[in-house]
Amino acid sequence: MSVSRDEVVRIAQLAELDVDEEELDALAEQLSRILEYVAQLQEVPAGEALRPFTSGPDALRLRSDEVKPSPLAFGPDRMAPAFRDGFFVVPRLGQFEDGGE
Amino acid sequence: MSEALAAAKAAADRLTKLRRLNATLTPAKDLRKSLLAQAAGAHPSGVLYGMPVAVKDNICTLDFTTTAGSKVLAGWHAPYEATAVAKLRVAGALIAGKTNCDEFAMGSSTEHSAYGPTLHPLDRHRVPGGSSGGSAALVAAGGVPAALGSDTGGSVRQPASFCGVVGIKPTYGRVSRYGLVAYGSSLDQIGVLGRSVHDAARVLSVISGRDPKDATCEDRDPLRLPIVPEDLQGFVIGIPREYFPPDLDPGVRRAAERAIRLLRDLGAAVRDVSLPHTRYAVPTYYIIAPAEASSNLARYDGVRYGPRADGAGDVHALYRATRGEGFGPEVRRRILIGTYVLSSGYYDAYYRRAQQMRALIAQDFRNAFDRGVDLLFTPTTPTTAFKLGEKLADPVQMYLSDLFTVTANLAGLPAVSLPIGRIKGLPIGGQFIGQEFLEDEMLEAAYALERVVPATEDV
Repeated sequence: MSVSRDEVVRIAQLAELDVDEEELDALAEQLSRILEYVAQLQEVPAGEALRPFTSGPDALRLRSDEVKPSPLAFGPDRMAPAFRDGFFVVPRLGQFEDGGE
Repeated sequence: MSEALAAAKAAADRLTKLRRLNATLTPAKDLRKSLLAQAAGAHPSGVLYGMPVAVKDNICTLDFTTTAGSKVLAGWHAPYEATAVAKLRVAGALIAGKTNCDEFAMGSSTEHSAYGPTLHPLDRHRVPGGSSGGSAALVAAGGVPAALGSDTGGSVRQPASFCGVVGIKPTYGRVSRYGLVAYGSSLDQIGVLGRSVHDAARVLSVISGRDPKDATCEDRDPLRLPIVPEDLQGFVIGIPREYFPPDLDPGVRRAAERAIRLLRDLGAAVRDVSLPHTRYAVPTYYIIAPAEASSNLARYDGVRYGPRADGAGDVHALYRATRGEGFGPEVRRRILIGTYVLSSGYYDAYYRRAQQMRALIAQDFRNAFDRGVDLLFTPTTPTTAFKLGEKLADPVQMYLSDLFTVTANLAGLPAVSLPIGRIKGLPIGGQFIGQEFLEDEMLEAAYALERVVPATEDV
């Protein structure tokens, strides 16, 4: 399964990840190599319809709906790169700001 | 001077002397200051009173930063501590700093840490394994008797094998993941590295047990330690033939066969078994783990915590620049693979297929155990520690070092690696894989083998 430069760009966009121009070829090669390797799963007949394996307990346990004090040692104001009046400050939202699609 | 204070001073001195390994990320002065302060407050009746335990840097602690070996969490102070760490402190243990690891636990050599590699304690040109390489190296070098690590595809057991120490991965759901920086949530478990089965097991027993803060942690009491058995009469141990392929390194084969002879001498019945889907385990893992990672690492975007890229014009540019700059090459590869295999048009062929294969792999183990086998025994790794830089050119070469370890994560089963010999002076481990939640039987076998195997002798 070969991955092209363009596909790397597309996947990087989906993953919200910047990739340098110079890296694209090497990355396309490495990703192709990995995908070729994992594609061997397709050798196995598709008919094996098994219940998918799930780790952990069979059902989620719910806890009682009680308000408790915050378990955090300190709040977002001490951690965030930019925080003001209870909001995380970011650069403009871009395409969403004008109320467009 | 209290025992804890004496232990704290001694640990601080030892850890300072071991700086050259780059196993501890915590600066020496901060570590010493913290150890002494902790010793003053340590619970004297705790079962681990005064025991220094180092913690892998992908596990949140209130003392010390938590970086997960990444630039994206450089200098980050966690606002909460992992349940496993809280339990250690209640038991009187001293948290002996944070250890180096592959970034976000993705790697098998600790070379993918943003903070430099950790060196193998016996050979500074070699890797200690990964991703819990810092913890393994520190224990092997005598810095601490035990350390926490995490194991998603073998990241506790593989470095244990390379460094010649014990490494235990519990059953999935045995130890709370609250405070473990998530990589592959259906595979991750906090595990323990120790200089002996007893040291590792005691720590595991303390950190295990129910936790309402982790929905995937089973509602069970903490693990009870088994007594060391006289022999292994009545144990049926399966040897899966797929873990002894024709091209297995001859030294590894000799070490494993010697251990199997010792198991027979101890009175265990040893049986040949087959786990037919083993050959698909590594590709299955390298679809599922990156897929889960791509989701888990979406949160690192420079908005709420961590460093933020400068000069981004809008929020998407901020995400892309922060993440592009902050993540190392292996993490980026895995996020991209994960995104690809979950994307429209590829989901069925890759991710869904891998989930089906995972069910078949888990079924292989169930079949073996249903046929009367109590435990399985295998080599832990296909080789001894490789050289720094040796496996960086081709990512798949690095992935193949997880050949014998990923199956236990895929099936959610407990596994322990203990040193079973040396090959040209380098340690090699043997692995028991147990039935789910039957760590005590697995540990009994490990205790018994440990007592008789010449772990530091060349095979």
